Amino acid sequence: MSTIMIKRLICAAVLSGTIATNVNAEELRFTVWTGSKAHLDMLNDIAEGFRQTHPDVTVRYDTIPFGDYVQKLTLQMAGGNPPDLGWLLENSAPAFVEAGALADVSKTLHATENYNYADFSTSAMGLWTKDDGVYGIPFSTSPFLVYYNKSLYDAAGLETPDQRATDGTWTWEQLKKDAATLRNADAGVWGYETVDGQGYSARVWHNLIPIIRAYGGNAWTDGTCHLDSPEAVKAIKLFHDMIYVDGSAVPPGEQGDFFSGKSALTVTQISRVSKLADANFDWGIAPLPAGPAGNAATVGQAAVVAFAQGKNKDIAAEFLAYMTNAKNVAKMAEFFPPARKSVLEGDAFLSSNPAITPEQMKIVAQGIENGSVLPSHEHFPQIEAKARPEFDALWSKDADIQATMTKLCQGIQPLL
Amino acid sequence: MSAAIKGPSLTLKAREAISGWLFVSPILTGFMIFFVGPLIAVFYYSTTEWNLLSQQSHFVGMENYVDALTRNDTFWNVLVNSLVFAAGLVPLNMLLALGLALALSRSVRGAVFFRTVFFAPVITSAVAWAIIWTFLLQHESGAVNRALSVIGINGPNWLHEPHWAMASVIFTRVLKTVGLNMILYIAALQSIPRDYTEAARLEGANGWEIFRRITWPLLAPTTLVIMVITVVGSLKVFDHIYLMTGGGPQNATLVLAFYIYEQGFKFFNTGYASALAVILFVLILALTILQTILKAARK
Repeated sequence: MSTIMIKRLICAAVLSGTIATNVNAEELRFTVWTGSKAHLDMLNDIAEGFRQTHPDVTVRYDTIPFGDYVQKLTLQMAGGNPPDLGWLLENSAPAFVEAGALADVSKTLHATENYNYADFSTSAMGLWTKDDGVYGIPFSTSPFLVYYNKSLYDAAGLETPDQRATDGTWTWEQLKKDAATLRNADAGVWGYETVDGQGYSARVWHNLIPIIRAYGGNAWTDGTCHLDSPEAVKAIKLFHDMIYVDGSAVPPGEQGDFFSGKSALTVTQISRVSKLADANFDWGIAPLPAGPAGNAATVGQAAVVAFAQGKNKDIAAEFLAYMTNAKNVAKMAEFFPPARKSVLEGDAFLSSNPAITPEQMKIVAQGIENGSVLPSHEHFPQIEAKARPEFDALWSKDADIQATMTKLCQGIQPLL
Repeated sequence: MSAAIKGPSLTLKAREAISGWLFVSPILTGFMIFFVGPLIAVFYYSTTEWNLLSQQSHFVGMENYVDALTRNDTFWNVLVNSLVFAAGLVPLNMLLALGLALALSRSVRGAVFFRTVFFAPVITSAVAWAIIWTFLLQHESGAVNRALSVIGINGPNWLHEPHWAMASVIFTRVLKTVGLNMILYIAALQSIPRDYTEAARLEGANGWEIFRRITWPLLAPTTLVIMVITVVGSLKVFDHIYLMTGGGPQNATLVLAFYIYEQGFKFFNTGYASALAVILFVLILALTILQTILKAARK
């Protein structure tokens, strides 16, 4: 046999082997917005577990940066290259569900042994169900919390927010007072920083909604805008006074990063604890303050979804069920506060993150249990764009809050 | 029996033409697929109502154009913003570029250093440039307002007050892009034969007269090129706006390219966004043709 013949045979054998492997193996592509090694190691660990029952299935996690996530995901879908599964934020949920972009996984979930779908509360599933269909399972239900600089509180001799929360005296009015007391212009320390310092732009809803809800208001209900209600206006007035009367809140166009000690208080989610690993001050967390309408915990949510156009829909649904079973939800709880009641109530959850004490984790658990999800709507991007100039108009000393919010409601009402 | 041996059936000219086409075919194929194809596709998409998310699309004829031009107030505001941005940026950029080129085209001490300094922003990442300027333009702790406070001026909240926000993005964009125009002007200035200016000087012409009668007319072709690329660049501006103001405050810096992005990728109205992109294309084409005609008419 000539050398050429041998080479041809080897090539043919290799090619046929590759083809045969491709026929049997299935790869699920799963889009996420995290690039953190710790997160990806944990996710790969779950994929490895799935291989025990599905040896031919591999899962490839595809990281898309958070800022471009929805845009790139949509372009992949439009380009005929949809992922099989992915993460999705609460504000994208209604648009994706209404557009038929997500696969209904209810049959697979109900057919999966010991899945215990009832473990997810109806409120946690609100955005991800339509009629009898289930279009996603929340993997992260993250309440907004108050982070405070304990060193500054102790130096000023003030009662800390978590002590006040226990006493029942932790209110937005109190937070306003504390912020004004702790503002130290000479040291460049602000009293209060808004969510990730973006409370006037990308996160204006996250900034204002918790206060508005504590005052008994809401963004909208049943297609009617309530952002111009007396309750909402009173809540916005409180925050407005913190900027323009007390001078305690970091104003628009300024930086006052809580995590580097430049603000005494901020509101954000539990995942930001990682930013405090090297903090040179003591810190603590507390629930969101109460208002005249009582406690109003607010949560942000993200879910695992399977895409309707995915090439391996059945396997994708099975992996979704596996990833969100009680065991794996408990595993993910280290980073992502769970929506499963059984995991939330278990002791393992309280000690799941070494950077957070069990007492602090209890605050997170309470936030999840009592919290309502951020406002969401099928036309949320349009509502956000329409409301943006009116929110911008609030940020001046002489702003007429009632008139501005009335105009905002008139603008977004047709979209609701 | 003798078989006739056939010679080559193609003429030399035809063979040369074939090999010529074969040589250019790789780049031509790429050009057709990646440039001409999408351009034609945008015209087609602009006549459809196509939702990127639901993948549903149907033909609506000129409806997207009619809606943008007659029913959408935001579109006209956005168009005005784009024109204000261009009207602010183009003259400022060109005057500054010409001034710098006149000062730095001579072989004086330090000229190369300053040319490098003014050209450096052109090759700096647009993202880094925009982010650094948002820090410099902070209200109380920004370097710009601190410097102004030294001379007793209480600076505004540059990026958060509607009028100042537009001025700020124009100014920072000019600083970012002026270096390229400066280099083009320097190259043009250095190609003007010295004999002309020396002869004029011998005839008793002063500096201003030499500039007005000799330098400026000889710079005309370069000025046209610079004007066209600066106008086109200013109407297409996106990154600067996206990073510095996000179209705010109160939509004061919401320009056409950013609005197209919002319609296409945030609201998923791909057909509508395509129609807006065609309008931007026509606007840029019209302005470019107008500039060329005006230049030709002056000759």
